[in-house]
Amino acid sequence: MSFITFENVEREYHVGGNIIKAVDGVSFGIEKGTVNVVLGQSGAGKTTVLNLLGGMDSPTKGRIIADNLEISGMAEYELTTYRRNKIGFVFQFYNLVPNLTVLENVLLAEEICKDPLDAKEMLIKVGLKDRMDNFPSQISGGEQQRVSIARALAKNPQILLCDEPTGALDSATGRIVLKLIRDAARDMGKTVIIVTHNVLISEMADVVLHLKDGKISDIRYNSSPKAAEEIIW
Amino acid sequence: MVMQSLFIKSLRDMQKSKVQFLSILIMATLAVCIVTGIDSIWKTVELHSESMYAAANISDLWVNVLNPTEKELWGISRIEGVEKAEKRFVLDALSDLENSPTLRVYAVSGKGVLDRPQLLSGKLSSRSGAILDEVFARMHGLDIGDDISIKLNNKWIRFPIQGLALSSEHIYSVKGSTDTFPDPKKYGFIIINEDMLKNAYGRKIYNQISVKLSPGADITKVKTHIFNAVGDDLAGIVAREDHRSVSNINANIQQFKLLAAVFSLMFFIVTALITQSTMMRLVENQRGQIGILKALGYGKKSILWHYTSYGVYMGLLGAFLGLLSGPVIFGKMLIPWLRLNFTDYKISINHSNFIISLVLILLCTGGISLYSCLRLLGDSPSVLLRIKPPKEGSHIFLEYLSGLWSRMRFSRRLIARNTSRNKIRLIMSILGITGCTGLIVAAFTIINMINGIARHTYNVTYTYDHKILLDSKADSRFIHNMGLEGTVQQIRETAAEIICPNGERQLELLTVSPQKSPLIRLKDVEGNPVLLPDEGAAITRKLADTLKIKAGDIIELKRTNKGYIRVPVKQIVYLATGQGMYMSDTYYESIGEIFKPTAILVKWDNGPDWSFLRGDYAEEYVSRADQIADVKSSTRVVYIAGVMLIIMGGILAFVVLYNSSILNFSERIRDLTTLKVLGFYQKEIRSLVLTENTLSVIAGLILGMPVGKVLAEIVAKGLNDQMDLIGNVSFATVVFSVAITAVFALFINSIAAVKMKSIDMIESLKSVE
Repeated sequence: MSFITFENVEREYHVGGNIIKAVDGVSFGIEKGTVNVVLGQSGAGKTTVLNLLGGMDSPTKGRIIADNLEISGMAEYELTTYRRNKIGFVFQFYNLVPNLTVLENVLLAEEICKDPLDAKEMLIKVGLKDRMDNFPSQISGGEQQRVSIARALAKNPQILLCDEPTGALDSATGRIVLKLIRDAARDMGKTVIIVTHNVLISEMADVVLHLKDGKISDIRYNSSPKAAEEIIW
Repeated sequence: MVMQSLFIKSLRDMQKSKVQFLSILIMATLAVCIVTGIDSIWKTVELHSESMYAAANISDLWVNVLNPTEKELWGISRIEGVEKAEKRFVLDALSDLENSPTLRVYAVSGKGVLDRPQLLSGKLSSRSGAILDEVFARMHGLDIGDDISIKLNNKWIRFPIQGLALSSEHIYSVKGSTDTFPDPKKYGFIIINEDMLKNAYGRKIYNQISVKLSPGADITKVKTHIFNAVGDDLAGIVAREDHRSVSNINANIQQFKLLAAVFSLMFFIVTALITQSTMMRLVENQRGQIGILKALGYGKKSILWHYTSYGVYMGLLGAFLGLLSGPVIFGKMLIPWLRLNFTDYKISINHSNFIISLVLILLCTGGISLYSCLRLLGDSPSVLLRIKPPKEGSHIFLEYLSGLWSRMRFSRRLIARNTSRNKIRLIMSILGITGCTGLIVAAFTIINMINGIARHTYNVTYTYDHKILLDSKADSRFIHNMGLEGTVQQIRETAAEIICPNGERQLELLTVSPQKSPLIRLKDVEGNPVLLPDEGAAITRKLADTLKIKAGDIIELKRTNKGYIRVPVKQIVYLATGQGMYMSDTYYESIGEIFKPTAILVKWDNGPDWSFLRGDYAEEYVSRADQIADVKSSTRVVYIAGVMLIIMGGILAFVVLYNSSILNFSERIRDLTTLKVLGFYQKEIRSLVLTENTLSVIAGLILGMPVGKVLAEIVAKGLNDQMDLIGNVSFATVVFSVAITAVFALFINSIAAVKMKSIDMIESLKSVE
């Protein structure tokens, strides 16, 4: 069995009087320590897949199993515990707490974890040794995204979920961020799932899942993924 | 059309933040309600008593004379500034009703024009009839056509009741100067024709001259002239404002004036703070919309008015609701408790103070809204339409205390930074809780103080079983020979005229007692037992304060049929109620007076001697237990006032805490969502928001204690010139206030927590800064 399994997962939303199936019978498996890219146009359901996997949303039908835990059907409190212990998030808009310094943003995550990694080490790793005492508003977008990665990694999660991590960045900065994400899988054994509409990013993935209209349209296995530095857009 | 669409927008905006705008409205309503409500009390009392004084043609001075001759009356009426002088006979007499209540008898000639009663029904149709106090009559089930007998010069004389009336001298009708509260069952007045005195005294007699001054007359000069005209026969001059009824009403008016200002102040400030925090956020959130309006070509004025109008609507509506509710809640409910014998009255509204409070509340709402909007309006549309830069984090003072800071958890640091960035909100919450605690502490402290009157007066100071007023035939030796079984203390109570060190003449109660005083245990202000001074007088603290006398001063005391003598004030004593002077019998005789007891105090060894109590020598008696019950029933109003204070405090706490929680929460919804996604549990997130409340509750509790103490002292000081209230904030009060405030706070937190539960992570994450 895979590290993460989706079995016939459906997610319906009621909008006005209509029912919209954002995810419509999706099944796939993800192996531990791999880099996976979920590709799709906007509205394809990729963010819903990420939200379901991250325990921020629950499926209407089907089963989701991650690290031997069935998270479909979990109650609010259990889902929080799951997010707390298993998941690291990297958002498109970084979502740093503006009132905390760079270091404190990372420490904040560390504070709630059972087995955290050293916050300062993480920041050094992402190249922000000299920015630790700055507030988020005082650093650039790329730097903020690196803080966000450091914060996600400091929790020492099994799974790193990234929602359009380079969406707000220029390509040079984006490459640095992607390299950090890639290294999390390579060096630290994290299972990485990146959601994006940017086809080029899929070149660095081990597995690429194509989503279209809430369904998996294609799964591609990449035997020689590119290094992040080689991706150009 | 232009204004109309903006108006619709403002209604929708208010609908969106209905809790905030409702809070502003509630606070504005309360502020104006308190001002107009408390004002309506004193304004009604002031206007109505003045109209009663005018209708009665009330005198300016009452000159007590032993037996005025026509010549003295003539002499007084000729004094410059005296418009009219009339003689009459005034005496407290017993009546033949159950428990022998006392009636103040006014024997007047039929032709007088001063101090006329306000007839409610009937009229004095014959010389032998009487006009009775309407309130007293009602209490005793008497009506026109019934008879009543009163004891004059030891003779019972019967009068048919021909009319019922109220008197402007008995609006606040208190018997003697030892009683503190009016009790219409025990005390009233009766007006009879002076000719009827012949039946009791054998001739017409007088003891008082009522004097009406012409407008602008110099009262001090007139007093001196009267003093010269009457000479040694003078027993005292009472000016109108020193009359017990008048002075009590005036004291009430002054006190309520003060209360209106003190109690409403907090609500005005809180209204301003709530408006500030609400409008600041609203305007910040709408910077884009302001840009759009400007780009569309709306003028500066119409945009300014648009945002100012939010506050103005709330302020106007609040002022209107306050004006409607205040006089009803406060005026209608509390005026009856003042126990004033008023003819039918209407609640009056103090229009000028309402206008002032309206202007104030509009400043607190509209003015503050305008201010919030002005800050943004300077920017050009292009700046406003641009996405707002994210708020900057900044270092705060606490971080410089590196020892403390490094030991704080990061979630705590987050709270600290967030709180210090929103100081106004913090101040608003602290002030709200301070007000809440202050009002609760004040309520309990006032209740304690009032309860302390009965306890202190009748358990600490007085220890007798019965106080018996003696018939004039009973003298000291006679009492001694009666051989009553128990501890007996003879006292003499008289009204004595004194001249204070500052030259003021006053008529005050003088109690003369043996120096060894087993049943009146006088204590000094600190509570140590004291003896009556060997030479000189003791004076109660409240009276000493009123007359500006201190220990060591010398007052002049008018002696019976003789001139004044200098008496040193040796001791200030504390008495909770019944203010006056005390003197030992030996000293009293040494200044040339005769110690003839007017009353005895008895602590029985084997139960009361009923044959003595009901016999001829006891004119009247009262048990200490009854006196305690009287005080308690008279002070019941304080519980109502206390509950009102606690309710106001609760509303204050609720509004500010709920508001600050919701503001705090919605301002940080994005941060909180991030934390939730990171895996913070609901209760951890809740504590991030609500810890700020806890901090302000703690700060407010601490600050509220002294505020409550001061409020209670202000109320106590003006409550009644016969009561000397002491009382600190007791430990129990502190515990109760903390408990009640904490219960309020927990309740509000739990409501706010329910509201917070509804964070939709997905929705909140979608939004872009």
